[in-house]
Parts: sequence; C-alpha cells; structure tokens
Amino acid sequence: MGEYIVELNHINKSFPGVRALDDASFNLKSGEVLALVGENGAGKSTLMKILSGAYMRDDGEMKILDQVIEDLTPKKAQKLGVAIIDQELNMCSHLSVAENIFLGHEKTHSGVLSNKEMNREAKAILDRLNIDIDPATIVGDLATSKQQMVEIAKALSINAKILIMDEPTSSLTSNEIDDLFIIIRKLKVEGCGIVYISHRLEELQHIADRVIIMRDGRCIVSMNFEDTNTSEIISNMVGHEIKEEFPRVTCKQGKKIFEVKNLNAGKMVRNINFDLYEGEIVGIAGLMGAGRTETTRAIFGADPKESGKIFVDGKKVIINGSIDAIRAGIVLVPEDRRRDGLCIRLTVQDNIALPNWDLLCNKIGVVDKKKEKAMTDKAVSNLRVKLTNAGTNVGTLSGGNQQKVVVAKWLARNSRVVIFDEPTRGIDVAAKVEIYNIMNKLKQQGIGVLFVSSEMPEVMGISDRILVMCDGKITGELATEEATQDQILQCATKFDSKFEQAVNI
Amino acid sequence: MENREKQSPWEEFLAIRGMRQVLTVTVALAILCVAFSFLSPSFHSGRNVGNLLRQVAPIFIIGIGQTYVLITGNIDLSIGSVVGMSCMISATLMTKGVNPWIAMLLTIIVCIGVGILNGALVAKWKLPPFIATMGTMTIARGVAQIVNNNYNTDAVGDAAQTFRNVFYYGKILGLYNTIWIAVVLFLVFDFLLSKTRSGRYIYAVGSNIEASKLSGVNTARSITIAYVVSAFCACVVGLITSAAAGMGTMDAGNMYELYAVAAAVIGGVSTLGGQGILIGTVIGASIWGVLQNGLQFAGAPVAIRNIVIGTIVVISVLLDVVIRTGKPRKKTKE
Repeated sequence: MGEYIVELNHINKSFPGVRALDDASFNLKSGEVLALVGENGAGKSTLMKILSGAYMRDDGEMKILDQVIEDLTPKKAQKLGVAIIDQELNMCSHLSVAENIFLGHEKTHSGVLSNKEMNREAKAILDRLNIDIDPATIVGDLATSKQQMVEIAKALSINAKILIMDEPTSSLTSNEIDDLFIIIRKLKVEGCGIVYISHRLEELQHIADRVIIMRDGRCIVSMNFEDTNTSEIISNMVGHEIKEEFPRVTCKQGKKIFEVKNLNAGKMVRNINFDLYEGEIVGIAGLMGAGRTETTRAIFGADPKESGKIFVDGKKVIINGSIDAIRAGIVLVPEDRRRDGLCIRLTVQDNIALPNWDLLCNKIGVVDKKKEKAMTDKAVSNLRVKLTNAGTNVGTLSGGNQQKVVVAKWLARNSRVVIFDEPTRGIDVAAKVEIYNIMNKLKQQGIGVLFVSSEMPEVMGISDRILVMCDGKITGELATEEATQDQILQCATKFDSKFEQAVNI
Repeated sequence: MENREKQSPWEEFLAIRGMRQVLTVTVALAILCVAFSFLSPSFHSGRNVGNLLRQVAPIFIIGIGQTYVLITGNIDLSIGSVVGMSCMISATLMTKGVNPWIAMLLTIIVCIGVGILNGALVAKWKLPPFIATMGTMTIARGVAQIVNNNYNTDAVGDAAQTFRNVFYYGKILGLYNTIWIAVVLFLVFDFLLSKTRSGRYIYAVGSNIEASKLSGVNTARSITIAYVVSAFCACVVGLITSAAAGMGTMDAGNMYELYAVAAAVIGGVSTLGGQGILIGTVIGASIWGVLQNGLQFAGAPVAIRNIVIGTIVVISVLLDVVIRTGKPRKKTKE
C-alpha cells in the first residue's frame, strides 16, 4: 500500500451557477488526524461528500485504499470503509443503541433478527472504544455527546478505515470534548485516517497532525500542524481577492435610528449590543452557526428573548411577536425564503399583500381590491420583478424573483429598519446586484439596513460598518474602509476557550 | 408596465385560485346529470330536483366549514358529532317547553364552544388536528347521548312548527328554505373567505404558517376562526335535521365529517392547505348528491353506490394532482 489511503486528484464539481470544486487535490494517510479548514463555501463539505459518495464528481481521479474508484455511491463508500459523521446526527432516536449501530446491516438468523448477537457485538465495539453505554439504551435518552459516540461506534461496525467528522465539537462541553479526543487518538493508533472539519482553530492544536486549507474550491496548502500557527492558517484561508464589483453609494451618516441593548435569547444570542444610523448599511459577518440568524429572529420577535431593550428613533419598543416588530417599523427578510418568507402556493399579489392588510382593508376588514392592485403593481414595478401578471404563483418564479417578492412585501409599507438575512443566497449575479441596489436605495432614503451575510466580499463591498459574530456574541466591530479579511476572520473564530489546559497523551 | 401582458377577462377568470379544478368538476357534474336523465326519466323531474337540492344542502353547509378548516391545512373530524349534538340539544330543549328560538340560540352557543375548543387544541396547544378533533368528535357524540338520558327525544310538538317550517318544510319562491339557508351561508362565508382580511389569512396560514407568522399574522386566531365557522355550520345542519325529523336523534350527522371532506376534495380543495374555493365545495357536494340520488333512481344497491362514490373521491384527487404536475405525485417539496 502506498503512503496514502485516500488520494483525490484534480477533482472538479459544479452546481448550477457555482463552481464548488476547482481542481482540488486531497490526500489522507492512515493513522493521522487531518484538519480540513476553510471559509464558508470553500468547498470542504462538497469534497467530503464526494469522498463519501453523496455527490458525484464531474471529473478527476479518486483512489481509496489503492483502488481506483469510478462511480462511488454512499453504499459502496461504506463497503470501502468510508464513514461520515455529520454535524447533524443521523440517528433513529426511538431505537436502541445496538439497533442504530446495526441499522441497514442487521444480524439475522434465518431471517429472524438476533438482538442478543447485535447487543453483544455492539457492546464489544463500545468497549473497544472505552465508551460506557449500555447497547440496549434508547438513543434519544442519551446526551448529544454520547449519541455522537454511538455514531462513531456505528462507523466502526462497518470497519471504517476513513472517518470524516464535520464540526464534531460544536455542541459538546469541554469534558465531552476530552472524551471525544481520547477516542479519536485511539482510532488513530488503530490505523484509521480521520478527516476533522472545524472552524475552531484553537481546538485543532490538541488533535490535528496535519492541516489542509481550502479556498475557492481548491486545496491551497497542506502543512504539518507543528510547523504552523493560527495566524498563518487564517491568512491562507482568506487569501482570495475580491473580484466582483459592488455598487456603492456614499451617504452622510444621520441620526441614530435603531439600538439594541443587552439582547439575550438562548445560547446563540448572548449580550448583543449595537446601533444603527441613518444612511448606513451595517453588515453582520461570521461563520455558519455564529448566531446571526438567531439574533435577527430575536430582534424581530420571531423567537422569544430572555432580556434586552430595543429602541427605534430613540423610543423604546416592546416586541413580543413579529406583529409588534412590524408595527414598530422593523421588518425581516428571512434567510430561507421558501420556508419562512413565502407562501409558495399563493400568488405574488397575495404574498405582497400578506403583511399589509392593515393598510388595504377598511375598518371592518373588507379588502379594497383597488388598493391591493395598486400596491402590488407598484411593488412589482419598483423592484422590476419579471412576471406576466401578479396572479402568478410565486412557486413558479426563479430564485432571484422570489427573493424580490419577499423584499417587495416589506417595502410596500413604510418601515424604519429592514433586516436582510443572507439576501443573495442562491440567486444569480444579476439579481444579486439588484438586491444590492435596493439596499443602497433604502440607505439613501434614510432607512436603517442591517445585513447578515456569510460571503465576506459581499459584506465588505456593501456595508459601511461590519459587526462580526462568533458563538452567539459580537466579537468585533470594524469600519469597512479599515477592515481586512484577516481581521474579520480573526474575530469570527474567537470562540470561548473550552480548554483550561492542553490535553495531550 | 412594459413587461406585463394584458389579460383577457377569461384568463383573469381562470387565474382565480382553484378555478380550473372547479370548471373540470362542473363539466363532470353536467355529464352526470345528463347521463342520469337518460338512465331514468324521473331523475330530472321538477320534484326530484327540488328534493335533490334539499338533500344536498346539509352536505354542502357542513362542507363550507370543513373547507375553511382544510384551507388552513387542518381537518375537523368533530363536525358529524356536532350535528348530532346540535340536533339533540335543540330538540330536547324544545320538548322541555323552551321557546324554539331560544333553544336555537343556546344550541349555537354550545356548538361554537366546541369550535373554540378545537381551535385552542390545534392552534394553541399544537395537538395534531386529526387526534384533537377525533377527541372532540367522541366527546360531542357523548354529549348528544347524555342530554336526553341516552334516548332519542319525543316529538318537538306544535310550538315548534314555525321553527320546523323555517328550517325545512317552508318554501320561498318555490325553493325549500333549507336550500335558501345554504345559499345565504354560502354568500356570507364566501364573502368572508375571499373579500376580507381574515379570509386571506386563512389561505396564508394554510400555505405557509411560518411565513405567515413572520408577516405578523395571528395564526392561532385564524385557525380558531376556521374551526368556529366549521362548528357553526355543523350546528345549522343539526338544526335542519331536528326540524326535518321533528325530534332529536342521537346518531344524527354520523359520518358527515367525512362526507364534508369528500365534497370539498372533489371540488378542488387541497388537504395540504392553502388551496380551494367555496364554489368548488358546492359543486363537490352536488356531485355527491347527484350520484347518491341518481344511482338510487337507476336502481343501484347501496353497496354499489358506496363503491362508486369512493372511487370518484380518489379519482378526483388524483386528477387534480395530474392536472397540476403532469404526473402522479411522488414527493412534493413544497
């Protein structure tokens, strides 16, 4: 066998409109923990999905355990010994540990399940990893960390030689992380190759042997972990230039419109403080799971908050539900437009009118058709949504036009603060520019614009001021002219240290 | 606007939510009527048409309520029992000498209580609608049985004659009052559904409850309104039933909840919510009635009638899916 158990060479993969992998080359040795790092959208997940058979590569060469692989399916990957443990655990929570471990390859005796044998073998695997869990326990009753260990045991039950872990520690406490790391080291000694995807750079030094950095769909560099440091890794992660042009307008900063004080809502929104002035766009940057969406939802009243004050135009507003926020002039263009933004089976007209019936009805709640039509026509033409008539179902529109409808329904009323959560996700370049133009127009009109985005160039290109979030807290505030990508990423990876001291074997 | 084409009135008419399906079933209804007229000449006699309409009216009225609930994406299984409850409560009160109109009012109040309870269970406490309304279905039937100590009531007596005429026996302009009641309820609830804010919210909640909430809609209120309308309609049907029989029967309205679903679904109301119009339910209920009545005239036994009607329900839903997507549904991601 050669030095590497996995070799991926010159892998390309495109999705409609996006080049996810661009000539990426990757390798893994047996008995090593390889950290795979990169910004959101750098291609880490795509590459690992190709390795585990979930995606098909467009072209490129793939070698697993010295075998040249053509078409890989998840089932075939399992057979070869590739196991992936997602950030979201995939377990049947009503079944027992043993049943989960052997799901899909149950032990049977002439067609009858042999629970005894499965429990015994599950126990053997768990013992081997020094995991103290009774195989008959129902998975749903276990803590998340234990469930994760069951996932690892499941991977080993198919004799996995290559184990991929995506952000395995995001929901674990420090003790649980210690336990996990002990298991990872054990697997390493047994000769498994482990790919460890994480944004928590500080945590990697306790576990990783080597690091591969991805950027824009390419594997930029491979380094021994000992020979590098966090700031070198970060500067490699962000090294790309900003190619796109962003329409930018400069406005004079006016008076303070909006202020959030000591906002707390669960684990992902912790002590948030910021303000927003007329004539500026404030961007919120951060990595996936930094708590940005949770923050916008808490402000908008979509989720309950524990504490915090919100001021609009200097006046305190009390927000217990979305309706209060809307009345106070705060509106939200949500992240997932199909889930939270649109009634997919209703028409464009219905969707635009939905939050605005208070403006379109007379006192007893009867709809004024003329006003309704006038409002939708105006909204549609203002935003240049392309459609034959406002009676079209929104479900039939393109992503960009759907997004414009979500924006349109809020712009049809006079709001003070518009919050955009990932407004350009999944829409084409032309539509993106139109969304930017809308944001700029609002800025010129003196409406406060708050803008969450995972695309760093976009945040830097559009906002006047950038807030960076990590782990539910604001970890940095930068003026755009002075901000660099390094700085933003430094702030975005300022996790609370879960370690008091280094744990080493 | 430069990029919007001018629409002909016909296109605009077709663009009304669910109109296509309604037109399809209207054609089907016409074909059925013609076919039955050939099969048995007495089918289209004036007397039979009058009777037929009066027979269909309760199914249609109860269908109005079910349509409201289905559009919100829920279901109401309790309405059959609410019919029984309404029938028993009103008749019992009348036999006890209570003024029929006061009896009617009290009955309506109790039935609306069931609607509010359903709304609270489903919208506030988030019970699955199937389970919640199955519970209230059983409770309401129990109430129907207990009000007169587990007996059907005696005849409601002469004092209630006007009540019986108003709800069942009387005629205005040659049409039975029951039919007029159905027409008035249709006009009122169609207006509420298509012309008012509350009506639009019913559609929005059924189409995407999360988006509606984020648009400031009080979703719990909209769902409760739908259940209250549903209970009210069932209550009216119960009153019609007690007027028709002149007494209260404990098992009145048995299975009506499912007839109502059938009428709505044949008329193009989606059980997934967000889709359907009331006129569709009118046509759906008519198809139901014409099949029952027509097959009876044609001499088909009950068993055959059941098989035919069941098949029609399944086919009409399948047709809707095929018309909309061009192929049978695999998995919708909506």
